[in-house]
Amino acid sequence: MQGHRFPEGRYTVEHWESFLLSDCTGASSLPDQQVHPIALFHIPFLAGGTSIAQLFALGQAESDLSIMIESYDWEFFSPLRENISYTIRGEILSAQRLRNAREQIYDRIQFCFDLSDKEVPVARSTITWHFTRDTL
Amino acid sequence: MNIQAGDKIPAWTMESVSAQKMKTMAAILRDPNPLHWDRDSVASLPLQLGQRTINQGPLGLGYIINMLHSWQGPDCLKRITMTFPGLVLDGDRVIARGNVTSVEGELAHCKVWLEHEDGRKLLIGSADVYL
Repeated sequence: MQGHRFPEGRYTVEHWESFLLSDCTGASSLPDQQVHPIALFHIPFLAGGTSIAQLFALGQAESDLSIMIESYDWEFFSPLRENISYTIRGEILSAQRLRNAREQIYDRIQFCFDLSDKEVPVARSTITWHFTRDTL
Repeated sequence: MNIQAGDKIPAWTMESVSAQKMKTMAAILRDPNPLHWDRDSVASLPLQLGQRTINQGPLGLGYIINMLHSWQGPDCLKRITMTFPGLVLDGDRVIARGNVTSVEGELAHCKVWLEHEDGRKLLIGSADVYL
């Protein structure tokens, strides 16, 4: 799986989505058409024509309940904004089979996505999930 | 304002984590995981969580970002890295907190976390914030 590249894609956050994202966090909409940074979680999936469900399937998740988050690492080179068609490129950085402290097997998979606007880097998201095995 | 290592970031509180907002978020994310919208699925887990849905990771992270925005403005975030040692459940009262660990020019390196009102740390991470 390591090195797997997702199809390059594009995504535009419209105002309604930006409004709902901020509202879900308990915040008001941001000024100057800024999009709440949590959009960096899902934009890459949807842009690449994939989904959380398809990422689960790619990692051969045993169920929707078997995925644990290790970490999210989000870096912003400029704020995300509404109505900009971002280009997204993504890949699987690493995939390792490991054992936890209770000797249970899990697969640690790290995904990395880069957002750009007219080839200018805007943000990078690195997410690391654990695909647990035989635990739920 | 002169920001220095050791300074506390003003806390940001979510008085009650909303199951309804989790449902909205699940729709936006196209997230099929029933733990975020089906209390029966959560109750069926061997975790003794009861009939309460589990907040999406990005939402808890969002509370911490809201704290940073309230502190240094809506375009202040350069980088945030987060781990998720605990679960945030609907109805929880959670507080985003942080402090400055060092300052380099116009950039503050911060330790940030989200804690339950009982003091348990549910998210722990770091953030780089433009001052």
